[in-house]
Amino acid sequence: MHRRMTGILVLIFVAAMSVSAHVGSSDVFFEGDAGPYHLYVTVRVPQVIPGIAEIEVRSAANDVEKIEIVPMRLSGAGSKFPPTPDVAERSKQDRQFFTGSLWLMESGALKVRVSVEGNKGKGEIAVPVPAFAQRTLPMERSLSGLLGFLMVFLAVGLVFIAGAAAREGNLELGETPSPARKRRARIVMAIAAIVVLGILFLGKAWWGAEATNYKRTVSFFKPPVAEAELENGNRLVIRAKGQDPEWSKEVKMEDVIPDHNHLMHLFLISTQGMDRMWHLHPERGEGGAFMDDLPSMPAGHYEVFADIVDKAGFPWTLVGQVDLPQISGKPLQGDDSTWTGPGLAAQPSDTKVAQLSDGGRIVWEKGTAPLVANTAMVFKFRVEDKDGKPAKDMEPYMGMAGHAEFVSSDMSVFAHIHPAGSVSMAALELASAGPGGEATTNGANMHSGMAMSMQMTSPSLEPEVSFPYGFPKAGDYRIFVQIKRAGQVQTGVFDARVQ
Amino acid sequence: MGQSIPFGQHIARPPMSARVGAGTTAKVESVPWTIWCMVAGVVCGTIGGPWDISWHMSIGRDTFWTPAHIMIQMTGVLVGIACAYMILTATFGHDAVTQGASVKIWGFRGPLGAFIAVWGCVAMLTSAPFDNWWHNAYGLDVKIVSPPHTLLSLGSLTIKIGLMALMAGLMSRAMERVRRTLGFLLLYVGATCVAQMGTILTTSTWPSEMHKAACYLAVAFAIPAVLIAPAWASQWRWGCTAVAGIYTTILLAFEWILPLFPAEPKLGPVYQHITHLVPLHFPLLLIVPAIVLDLLWRKTDEWGRWNLAAVTGPVFVLSFLAVQWPFANFLMSPAARNRIFGMAYFAYFDPANFLYDPYKFNGDETAGHFWKLILLALVFSVLTARLGFAWGDWMRRMRR
Repeated sequence: MHRRMTGILVLIFVAAMSVSAHVGSSDVFFEGDAGPYHLYVTVRVPQVIPGIAEIEVRSAANDVEKIEIVPMRLSGAGSKFPPTPDVAERSKQDRQFFTGSLWLMESGALKVRVSVEGNKGKGEIAVPVPAFAQRTLPMERSLSGLLGFLMVFLAVGLVFIAGAAAREGNLELGETPSPARKRRARIVMAIAAIVVLGILFLGKAWWGAEATNYKRTVSFFKPPVAEAELENGNRLVIRAKGQDPEWSKEVKMEDVIPDHNHLMHLFLISTQGMDRMWHLHPERGEGGAFMDDLPSMPAGHYEVFADIVDKAGFPWTLVGQVDLPQISGKPLQGDDSTWTGPGLAAQPSDTKVAQLSDGGRIVWEKGTAPLVANTAMVFKFRVEDKDGKPAKDMEPYMGMAGHAEFVSSDMSVFAHIHPAGSVSMAALELASAGPGGEATTNGANMHSGMAMSMQMTSPSLEPEVSFPYGFPKAGDYRIFVQIKRAGQVQTGVFDARVQ
Repeated sequence: MGQSIPFGQHIARPPMSARVGAGTTAKVESVPWTIWCMVAGVVCGTIGGPWDISWHMSIGRDTFWTPAHIMIQMTGVLVGIACAYMILTATFGHDAVTQGASVKIWGFRGPLGAFIAVWGCVAMLTSAPFDNWWHNAYGLDVKIVSPPHTLLSLGSLTIKIGLMALMAGLMSRAMERVRRTLGFLLLYVGATCVAQMGTILTTSTWPSEMHKAACYLAVAFAIPAVLIAPAWASQWRWGCTAVAGIYTTILLAFEWILPLFPAEPKLGPVYQHITHLVPLHFPLLLIVPAIVLDLLWRKTDEWGRWNLAAVTGPVFVLSFLAVQWPFANFLMSPAARNRIFGMAYFAYFDPANFLYDPYKFNGDETAGHFWKLILLALVFSVLTARLGFAWGDWMRRMRR
């Protein structure tokens, strides 16, 4: 058992290399096709592991009869044998909405397999789920009071039982205890009280040690620090440092794998109201450092978000800050992009139209309903050319119809979202692969935006892009929507107030 | 002319000694239903405990209302009913013998064992919300030994201690036939204590740990007291053998019966293909040191308790080491990977790479470290054996 337990712990730490996607936004939002059925899946990841994840599935059409959900490891061991599936409950009010609960027994790179039955036959899709302990739940005052009372009752009761045992336990029937016995009983009670206090003290120490261990696990999964420094005038070097000492031992930057064409997606966002943003792609250097020759940019204080994907296929987001001087650097090239504009206002109103540099624009089909936190939504954007007509020059941008970054005004939330949702593309490929890691129906399961995007020879994509996501908390947000038209990456920026 | 008694006049009851008479021996002519009820509760716990562990290994965490959980809860229910009856009848009833055979705590009267068992019930009840919160807060479900689980186990063990004390008190004034029955029941309850301690030691006594001194240190720490005390209290010449024999029978029954029931995991990830309930491992060979102790004690009638403990403890540890060490070699061999010895069973959550070396002994231990821990085990065994004798003597003297 010892080795078994050790194995589990090792597994947790190895798996830990693949969690902590995004910052401050742990729930998973996904859009994709389970065979003939188009689904929107939300996984509310539990705060502690093992814990219960809440699963919400919405079918795009009223053609689904039954949905089964089952948790598995994303890939490799643990992805071969599914447990007995849970049947998601169908809403009586909304026949296209299904909900269920699943125990996630391990931290790390998991997936929820969703099996669908309906009038078009059967379909299946796997949704990557990063499961990791996020915090310690406090004890409610009522429970604390109850347990405290019971503890005192048990402690005092034990002392009195010991006293009764010494006083009367071995007295013959009917015999009354002598004064000597009563005196001895009091001594026994005093000794018992000391022993009980000792046990309580040791128990408290044990509890404290367990709580400390747990806190370390939580720290392990917190976003690692991106230590950024400038070398040679314009070369930005980024090194990762975990918030727990074990992190750097377990997560090797030399092992990260490409996620939609790049090893790292680096976002530099001005802390002055997010009025400037760069989306860059550093290359890996020696010793696990990542480096990028920066383009020209003004001096300023920048928040650093760096997405990487470990060898198991899940993302970490490194978080840091850097002060940069005026940079005279190279022009933007490849998939690198930037945006400059007005900062986020103190009291922003929802933006529905973003002007593009060529006169075109991106229109957020937002509707009139207010934005509400912790609600899964599909953010749909329409791209128009300078004449106000649907753009006909849309191209895949890093293999997708678009990318979106949702950033809260205090920078405590950063989520890099794709048309398939908040999951990383590499994880999605692994989730759709067989137990041995071989790809199976990956392309068929992808969101239409993704599938279209993979047709690299296609002359043009549809002038629409959508992103499934849910704001994790109320507040002001800025949404950067990035698309590619006629070889140029363009960024539209939208502000949103979330209730 | 009839006397009138003024309304509200207090009629003083004569003192207990006057009603029962000091030194009265009220013969127990049959085993009271309360004892059978409590034994039934312990049986439920004995079945429910290993069944629940197997459930977690095979199916995973399930609803509160699994049959195994219900069996465990029945322990508290049955013991609670019996103890409540004993305490309430002794406190509020008028039977002089019942009251005479009781102790007084917080104004209540009842047999000492009943109060001890009630304490165990309250501890078990307390562990339930504590454990639930613990899992919600820390999610540490994979550990057998955690603070709330320890409280649960302590409660369960205390119930058995209370039941044995009750039976020991009854034995002191029981007819020979009843005394024999109570003696057997006491040995059975003692064996369930050994099984419970063995379960707590699961991590330390996993077959792959059996060539480490820590395994024997853990056994020396946890087993002698619970093995010796009931045997010593029963005063039967094969007491230790009976306790260890019942323990072995219980564990073998679980190992052979549980896999007959189909099961599949409800939780994931699943690392092992499970088609039936998975049991824990083959019982420890405690039967051998138990036989040795029973034989030893025939030569030590006149010895003082400390001298007896000083020999009993080391003899227990060394005889156990002598048989368990080579038996571990057998358990790790292909010959043990069958239904009899159960070395081919894995829990659904055992990582797949566990399959590649589950039959390799863990860790390299220097000879110095090994013998240092064995020496420590010998010292501990003296203390725990002495505790067992003291506990056994206490039960022998138990009257109420």
